[in-house]
Amino acid sequence: MRSVALSPHLDVRNVMWLLAAMVFVVAPHLLRMPYWVSIFFLAIVAWRAWIAWAAIHFPGRLVTAALTIAAAIATYFEYRRIVGREAGVTLLVAMAALKLLEMKTQREVVLSIYLGFFLVLTNFLFSQTIPLGIYMLACVWIFVGTMVGFNRVGSSPTLTQRLRPAGALLVQALPLMVAFFILFPRASGPLWALPTDSRSGATGLSDSMKPGSISNLIKSDAIAFRVQFEGDRPQYSSLYWRGPVLADFDGAAWKVAEDQNVPWGDAYARREKPVTYTVTLEPHFKRWLFALDVPAKSQIPRGATLRPDLQLMTSADIRERRRYETTSFLDYRYGETLSERGRRAALQFDENRNPRTVALGRQWRREAADEAQVLQKAFTYFNREFTYTLEPPLLDPRNPYDAFLFETKQGFCEHYAGSFALAMRAAGIPARVVTGYQGGEVNQINNELVVRQADAHAWVEIWLRDRGWLRVDPTAAVSPLRVEGGVNAALGPIGMLPSLIAADPMGLLANMRDAWRAMNSQWDAWVVGYSIDRQRQFFAQLGFPDVDWRTLGFWLMAATILVGSAVSVGLLVRDRPRRDEPSLAAWNRFCAKLAAAGLARAAHEGPLDYLRRVEAAQPSWAPQVSDITSRYVRARYGEGATREELRELARRVRDFRAA
Amino acid sequence: MFAGLRQSISDWIFRATAPEVPPVTLVQRRIFILPTRQGYTFGFTTLVLLIASINYALSLGFVLTFTLMSMAGVAMLHTWRNLAHLKLRPGRCDPVFAGQTAHFGVNVETPAQTRFSVAVRRTDEQPVYADVSVAETASIALPVVAAKRGVMRCGRLEIFTRYPIGLFHAWSYVDFDLRVVVYPRPDPSAGMPPAHSRSLTEEGIPVPGDEEFHMLRPYRPGDAPKLIAWKALAREQELLTKEFSAMASSELWIDWEEARALDVEARLSMLCHWVMVADRFGQSYGLRLPGLAIAPSRGDAHRTRCLEALALFNGGRP
Repeated sequence: MRSVALSPHLDVRNVMWLLAAMVFVVAPHLLRMPYWVSIFFLAIVAWRAWIAWAAIHFPGRLVTAALTIAAAIATYFEYRRIVGREAGVTLLVAMAALKLLEMKTQREVVLSIYLGFFLVLTNFLFSQTIPLGIYMLACVWIFVGTMVGFNRVGSSPTLTQRLRPAGALLVQALPLMVAFFILFPRASGPLWALPTDSRSGATGLSDSMKPGSISNLIKSDAIAFRVQFEGDRPQYSSLYWRGPVLADFDGAAWKVAEDQNVPWGDAYARREKPVTYTVTLEPHFKRWLFALDVPAKSQIPRGATLRPDLQLMTSADIRERRRYETTSFLDYRYGETLSERGRRAALQFDENRNPRTVALGRQWRREAADEAQVLQKAFTYFNREFTYTLEPPLLDPRNPYDAFLFETKQGFCEHYAGSFALAMRAAGIPARVVTGYQGGEVNQINNELVVRQADAHAWVEIWLRDRGWLRVDPTAAVSPLRVEGGVNAALGPIGMLPSLIAADPMGLLANMRDAWRAMNSQWDAWVVGYSIDRQRQFFAQLGFPDVDWRTLGFWLMAATILVGSAVSVGLLVRDRPRRDEPSLAAWNRFCAKLAAAGLARAAHEGPLDYLRRVEAAQPSWAPQVSDITSRYVRARYGEGATREELRELARRVRDFRAA
Repeated sequence: MFAGLRQSISDWIFRATAPEVPPVTLVQRRIFILPTRQGYTFGFTTLVLLIASINYALSLGFVLTFTLMSMAGVAMLHTWRNLAHLKLRPGRCDPVFAGQTAHFGVNVETPAQTRFSVAVRRTDEQPVYADVSVAETASIALPVVAAKRGVMRCGRLEIFTRYPIGLFHAWSYVDFDLRVVVYPRPDPSAGMPPAHSRSLTEEGIPVPGDEEFHMLRPYRPGDAPKLIAWKALAREQELLTKEFSAMASSELWIDWEEARALDVEARLSMLCHWVMVADRFGQSYGLRLPGLAIAPSRGDAHRTRCLEALALFNGGRP
């Protein structure tokens, strides 16, 4: 037996638990943040651990204030701002560390733990994959275990005694959580405008392209847009979603032409195979819309314009999800009349940079009889000795395309498109780079095409006399699978698990990989992508079309009551104490009656001793008391009692009046 | 005025009743539960998480938010359950001298499942925590400094818990009318009992004391355990007490009139000290107070009787 007279206090082990939980939850952030954040965070956590361990003094208020200001200034210099996703989370991580340094009372512990829950949420701003979800669940578990530890006042619980109650809480919370997740009405857009950089870096094409910019994008599985086709879906290889057209070239980066009025030539000479579709575009904070090559001029979405380079633009940044319907022609010919100004713009390049690539282009021109032969040579060249990879080596920043073509020979679509377009310009063929998305993934459930950031792509348009602008995709020459089957198909054998897959005769690993991908797409569709549309669709499939938030709210209340009471019953009924054995129950009632009359049975007093005392105190009750006591003793300690005898005992107790 | 009103409302809500007959089982209607301040902060945190999840359309943020919300609901049940069906009995409330720390004892039993961090406290005082396991009764002792001689009452006790995660405070009240008898604070400056209070007896006759073995006599309640003849008991004789003889020359009367001090409490302190001294020397002593006289005797039971008389002395008024 232990009884400690203590107010809730900061036990060393509890503090260590909390620090560990904090490190776990912040770890994914540290991996993507500047290294000084990691040093700052870990140093302060170590300091706090040392304070707890060695029971030394906390730093003074001046020190923590100085550290706070230092962290804010460092964040500002790193990002040039202190709001927005990266900067905001960096600041939050730093502040969480400093909060630990000030943590002296139970109340501050609680605030730190709640801050930890908030840090869990910030991780989801960056990634919502299955592994991260599981990892964060583990973090929440540790945090709840820490809460359990801090509420075990006066004793230090073991690992099991922390994690088991915490696990039980989380498991029992599961049914209600699922009900809430399904039923909670989803909003159609953000409640307020998001900071402009809240999606910086990770998602969305930009208005310039240099080696490396798209391969970063391709690691993001965020959805760019979704497409519902009217009628049949076109072939995979013709799904080129046209985005920013890049015609200005400075030797490394391809950029959207500064001069927006260049007459590129946009007259359609042939328009066949129309296809109509609806795009649901995720906000990307830029002005362009995506459409298949080439958009019909009569079907421009409302509020958008089609520029001379066939780029669909809106007048303002797209800050919330947008749906538009449009039509494209898959078989087309356009731009046969290229103005002199457009021609000059499409041939411009810096002679002093990438000299070997330029020389290669000129060599092709010299050796070829016509432009078709130049193209032929170029394709042969790209087909020969290049490798398609997401992790290309770093390139010389001054002459990146030389380094790529003649040294590393490993690259991604932007390497191929950029160097191909440059070589074409050197060979005297007008060329420009087009970025956008290629392909997409068909959702088998609703036949929707989901296009992700991972489908980002870059290709080249060249201009040939009598032919107009013509799309050529040098990546297709290197990795036809990329265009036929998507990025994963292209990377699968080479990029991901090269040696293992090669040595996998049964196809087991390939099957596992497929199963993993299938699971991921279900996860993306039904968990990560569970939006207002998906919620409607889900209930429509259940036979409730057009549910609105009122209906959902009503169901939510009903489900809360239902699931809540089911969980309560499961929890509380299970440990209701067993009923007393009938004779004991009757005896207890009898003792209670006597106690009410001032003759309470002492805890140590046996029935016979008690009887003697009661008889002495109240001789008039003696017959009844003696009768009941002997019946009880016989039933409980003697030969036992039949059902009738027990009932008789209960009746006599009931009839007994201590008066 | 408002304080009084608040008190009576609270008494009405929480069913302040007369002292209860043990054992008290904490049945459902006796247990109250409300969120703690931490609990309200937690609610606010989940609200912020919810708004962030809506705003950034974070599905896993929703999962997190709803998990925490439901967990709070489940935690409420767990907290309530941690208190439910506990059985309480009064525990030891040993007498102390004024100025010492008295302990009000409460024994707690659980019918099933170990209960963690169950706390008991008197109104506005520090709680004492204990884990209650099925195997053994937890004895919780609430320390209170006994400032004044007399009977100290414990008053209503609050038994509460915040386990497992501190979001809810479940509590119940119980009043066993626990009391501790507080003896006067012994006054060492009183010295030895005054000599002239001794009445002479014949020299050389052994009187009970504890210096030399004299005889065995039947056990009387209150005899010190060290005086019990355990060997005789082992030989299956009756319970006997060893009596020792001391060469004493007097029989001692500890007398109110002898204690010359300014006030009643100071006098009682002196008397108390003399009782302790006489008891320590194995002296047979009697106690004379206004309106009360205890015949000379010795032993623990006698000492207790004398000390209680001093503790409850009310100046000779009935």
